[in-house]
Amino acid sequence: MHYDAVVIGSGPAGSVTARYAAESGAKVLIIERRAEVGVPVLCGEGISQKVDHYKVLEGTRWIATKMQGARIFSPNGTMVTLAAEYAGNETGYVVYRDIFDQELARGAVKKGAELMLNTRAVGLLKKNGKITGISAQQFDETIDIEADVVVGADGVESRVGRWAGIKTTLKPYDLETCVQYTLANIDWDSPYCDFFLGKHVAPGGYVWVFPKGKDVANVGIGILASLSEAGKAKQYLDKFIAAQPALKKGEPLRILTGADPVAEPIQSVTDNILLVGDAARQVDPITGGGLMHAIEAGRYAGETIRKAVEKQQFDTELLSEYETRWKKAFGKKLHRNYVVKEIMLDMEDKTLDMLADSLKDYKFEEFSTISIIKALVTKHPSLLVKLTPLMKLARA
Amino acid sequence: MAKRKAVVKKEKCLACGGCISVCPQDAILMIFSKADVDDKLCNSCSICVKTCPIGAITWEGASHAL
Ligand SMILES: Cc1cc2nc3c(=O)[nH]c(=O)nc-3n(C[C@H](O)[C@H](O)[C@H](O)COP(=O)(O)OP(=O)(O)OC[C@H]3O[C@@H](n4cnc5c(N)ncnc54)[C@H](O)[C@@H]3O)c2cc1C
Ligand code: SF4
Ligand code: SF4
Repeated sequence: MHYDAVVIGSGPAGSVTARYAAESGAKVLIIERRAEVGVPVLCGEGISQKVDHYKVLEGTRWIATKMQGARIFSPNGTMVTLAAEYAGNETGYVVYRDIFDQELARGAVKKGAELMLNTRAVGLLKKNGKITGISAQQFDETIDIEADVVVGADGVESRVGRWAGIKTTLKPYDLETCVQYTLANIDWDSPYCDFFLGKHVAPGGYVWVFPKGKDVANVGIGILASLSEAGKAKQYLDKFIAAQPALKKGEPLRILTGADPVAEPIQSVTDNILLVGDAARQVDPITGGGLMHAIEAGRYAGETIRKAVEKQQFDTELLSEYETRWKKAFGKKLHRNYVVKEIMLDMEDKTLDMLADSLKDYKFEEFSTISIIKALVTKHPSLLVKLTPLMKLARA
Repeated sequence: MAKRKAVVKKEKCLACGGCISVCPQDAILMIFSKADVDDKLCNSCSICVKTCPIGAITWEGASHAL
């Protein structure tokens, strides 16, 4: 079995990479260890409407609700509302991630990619030190799959990078550990995705409520692993729900645990290897949103594979084009937001309340970091000191 | 005395992979949708135990001292 590229993982990163590579005629195989693409869902399921520009999803079956924007609640309950166009990569649609992932995979297969389920990559194949493919466990058999490019689209716990010598282990400081219920029979009919902040709500993270129709919503929590103790995320979430009259009578249709990397981007290319999506830590360190970046980077990865196949060149030199492109598109933003994450982690609840109070009437029309900081500082001059590092960033 | 090793309660694990992504020893793998600790590699650092959002990782043989 020889392929131009073998893609490990059928999440958004893997399917979109495979789609763009296969479209150009490359021989591509996706392998997935699960028995069904997209199942179980491990996601809050919020995504920006920017996803429409990519035209990688047909129809509307994957959409649960269309959102008007986001509301952020500071520790004392002060609310800041953001219209959809300013609310970042995680609000726009709330989707059914299982259907979403299956539609993306269907798109890849339609372009000619092959897909194997129940197939888990277990190691790299090497000949004279050169990577020549992967070894995989398929049902109860071990199979060898030869390929010129191995794509690690294997999510947060990525092995492919480690096998190729890239350091992917996350510091607990760089991981949000999550629990989410999909609650039914709640009184939560809102066109907004809601975010709740505060040390007593979610240390180093937030609680989210993403509506999926009139009386159903994803209610989840992420807390920073370095501030976590065994089972703490679930305890905090249960406490939050119990204190919300509109949520507490809800019954869960689903419970999931999740791990969301909030790290600095890492090296994503080496000879014969590309890392895409969560495997490359392409997640927004503030929001934990990774779907849009996985899709965008998947496209660059697929296009780079196409070039590599045309030239029959699979070394770091050629494949680096992929890394250059995604870092140019959103690498700077990831770095900046990582610094903002660190600043926010140092903030007391009181400071967050002041921030929210300054922004609650702010019209997010002139949306630049500087104009927001001006609004903040006019109302609460003492914020100035705390925000100095942010101002430096905004000017950089 | 042998150091205690982390163990995953298989009936509790929901397979998010969080523990795997932070284990500094690379001692955890996902096998058939359950995290699984290789006790030969585990150095008892407790990072995975603290990370698991539902407390599915505990210490082997609770009587073992650290
Ligand atoms: C609780 C939670 C909520 C989130 N909410 C949002 C949100 O609202 N909006 C947003 O944009 N992002 C959100 N994210 C982040 C988002 O889920 C990820 O960024 C996204 O799933 C990344 O896609 P991916 O394709 O890189 O990886 P994944 O979707 O994780 O796909 C990886 C695939 O690889 C497979 N795989 C892994 N190892 C192997 C192997 N050895 N062999 C074969 N197959 C393998 C897995 O089974 C899986 O199917 C959330 C994350 C969590 C944990
Ligand atoms: S962190 Fe907990 S739920 Fe997630 S894979 Fe590890 S043991 Fe399972
Ligand atoms: S205790 Fe530390 S070394 Fe052992 S499995 Fe957990 S994270 Fe890995």
